[in-house]
Amino acid sequence: MKPMEPPTFQPRLKVLNRDQALAIHTAALEILEKTGFRMEHPGALEMLADAGGKVSNGDWVKLPAHLVDEALKSAPKQIDLYDQKGNKTMPLVNGNTFYGTGSDAIFTLDLETGQRRRTVLKDTANFARLVDGLENMSFAMSMSNPEDVPVEDIYVYVFAEMVRNINKPIVFIADSGRDIVKIYEIACLVAGSEEALQEKPFILNYSEAISPLRFPENVMEKLIFCAEKRIPICLPSGSNAGGGAPVTLAGAMALGIAENLVGLVVHQLAGKGAPFLFGSNVSVLDMKSTVISYGCPEWSLSQAALADMRDEIYGLPIWAFAGASDAKVMDAQAGAEAMFSIITAMLSRANLIHDVGFLEYGSTSSLEMVTMANELVAMSQFFTGGIPVNEETLALEVIERVVSGGPGSMFLMDDHTFEHFMQAQFLPKLLDRSRYDSWEEAGAMDLYKRCNTEAKRILSEHQVAPKPDRVLKEIDLILRSR
Amino acid sequence: MSDYKALIEAVIKGDIKTAVAETQSVLDAGSNARDILDKGLIAGMDEVGERFSKGQMFVPQMLRSAKTMKECMKLLEPFFQEGDITSKGKVLIGTVKGDLHDIGKNLVSMMMEGAGFTITDLGVDVSPESFVQKAKEVEPDIVAMSALLSTTMPSMPRTIEALQRAGIRDKVKVMIGGAPVTEKYAQEIKADSYASDAGSAVSKAKNLLGVS
Ligand code: B1M
Repeated sequence: MKPMEPPTFQPRLKVLNRDQALAIHTAALEILEKTGFRMEHPGALEMLADAGGKVSNGDWVKLPAHLVDEALKSAPKQIDLYDQKGNKTMPLVNGNTFYGTGSDAIFTLDLETGQRRRTVLKDTANFARLVDGLENMSFAMSMSNPEDVPVEDIYVYVFAEMVRNINKPIVFIADSGRDIVKIYEIACLVAGSEEALQEKPFILNYSEAISPLRFPENVMEKLIFCAEKRIPICLPSGSNAGGGAPVTLAGAMALGIAENLVGLVVHQLAGKGAPFLFGSNVSVLDMKSTVISYGCPEWSLSQAALADMRDEIYGLPIWAFAGASDAKVMDAQAGAEAMFSIITAMLSRANLIHDVGFLEYGSTSSLEMVTMANELVAMSQFFTGGIPVNEETLALEVIERVVSGGPGSMFLMDDHTFEHFMQAQFLPKLLDRSRYDSWEEAGAMDLYKRCNTEAKRILSEHQVAPKPDRVLKEIDLILRSR
Repeated sequence: MSDYKALIEAVIKGDIKTAVAETQSVLDAGSNARDILDKGLIAGMDEVGERFSKGQMFVPQMLRSAKTMKECMKLLEPFFQEGDITSKGKVLIGTVKGDLHDIGKNLVSMMMEGAGFTITDLGVDVSPESFVQKAKEVEPDIVAMSALLSTTMPSMPRTIEALQRAGIRDKVKVMIGGAPVTEKYAQEIKADSYASDAGSAVSKAKNLLGVS
């Protein structure tokens, strides 16, 4: 009889105990009940009032905790995102983690010159195609805020450009209830129909409430639209420690969670059971430069804490960030900060993880950085896989065989090595382990140069299955309609 | 002439209690308010600015120093006559229409106030019309606009045009800033100045008005 195989422990990060999680949650509820918030959307205000919220001074609302409980109950515990061919590629549930890029970078590092320059629509296309070709990137955001498209329809243009260049799921931005309708139209065309999109959504909207405790009309328009159309959405705020929120992480989290809960309540009132991705963005305002940091340990820590709160309390999949940096170029700082956030996000099992490939605190995007992060995700996946312990992996027979095999007998020659090395080891592609001479012969390239070469290779070789002509033509019509 | 060493030190440390007590004691000892302001409070704030730009001080410490100066000013104000120049200039500031980012704008206002400017803050989502209306009312030396979104930047030239139409463009200096805004953009839309952060916003504002 074979000995029993113990289940493999998968390394897991925990940063809050249950009492801490409950204390932050209770504080969030207290903010909503006692402080209240400003709801600037008349429809949402009415919904909240009808449901039992107390309204004063026109648009100030105080929310009883039971409304939060009800919303938490009706929101689905799992959100499935599909690729644009209808395959379920991102089941957002439990410990599943998926990485993807970020949205509105103002600048990008040019692939040819390495120079930081303003982003254009071609960059949106390149980032989408690169993500399509990278195995560990699961979804795309625009990575650009192009200067060469009409500014009032910028989010429609970048969405259309992504659709043309990727078949993975898309996380999109919209300005208001106006442009989101056009984006929705395009998405329906791609999916085949409204019903098909609803059944197999390949899009998720990313909108933001305004810290502290302000809910503008245009933001709520998008939230209600998504709830009604059952388009998955997430609505974190910018409750950054020391910026939009208290400088201490617990308070910043309580505020961010309170803001997110308002979104959830309105969302569930507008569309009970519609998919809502939970999350807050709690980074820090750097006390010297005054930038909001995209490479700090605090953001990673706060989202690990949110993951613990998900497990203890909310049960909803969560939004997160990783793979970004405050460095201006893709240097050692960029690598260190990217890896720090990537591995901690995975170890804490954040679900949808965006902003991969950002430099300069989210102002600049880099194709090389995304390419590097793809490998760092692989490295982290290997680590979080843990160590399977069983007869095969303990390999006692192999040890016996090799040791008793006489001179020249070695593990490298054994069939066991041949059969297992692909799974037993992490096999890097871009991280260099070559011997000095071969590294020099190959051009003495550092990681930035290797990522540059790899990004260029993918962009020139990777084929993205094109959308039908009819769909592309109709997208053009939508873009031209005002 | 009094020695302001202790006052300067308290301003730098952001020690409100000591600074206020020191201000009172130099007043009691017969120093005049202008002297205390220039050689005590402002001298202290200049040192704070210096240390901050060298990375030796953090933002909350600098803001605390500004608050300290403000508290001390309350004791000095009664000694200034109407029309005495205690302000470096009047600034009308706001985040432009459609834009709700206010942290950078708030920081710029606070730093300017700390440096001795008088601020009128219109908040966020400020339309060209609101800028013009308030400008007519408070007659600022500088109209300062912040935008964090490329989609809201066009509201800056629109505000400049509106100031023009209202006939007050040449009575004010226009200053712009925010993450996507650049020097080049400022030139294109004929703004008078651009600043990349709150510290340089102060020095640019001083340059614009020719004050130090
Ligand atoms: C008059 O003279 C002057 C002179 C200097 C001036 C000046 C005026 N104004 C500023 N300065 C300068 O001095 C200040 C102090 O040193 C500096 O101000 P800053 O504001 O730069 O610095 C502050 C002290 C700290 N920095 C900040 O506060 C901004 C940080 C980032 C992360 C940011 C935040 C925090 C927020 N955001 Co928003 N946000 C981002 C920002 C990313 C980034 N890299 O900057 C940016 C600006 N946001 C962006 C976006 C897209 C959005 N945001 C949105 C919302 C928010 C939050 C509400 C969540 C929050 C703001 C909360 C608040 N109360 O302000 C949305 C729009 C809301 C709206 N209509 O305004 C939304 C559209 C996102 C969405 N999906 O809904 C991007 C803009 C891209 C673009 N070019 O258009 C963005 C660059 C992030 C990104 N990479 O995607 C200087 O710029």
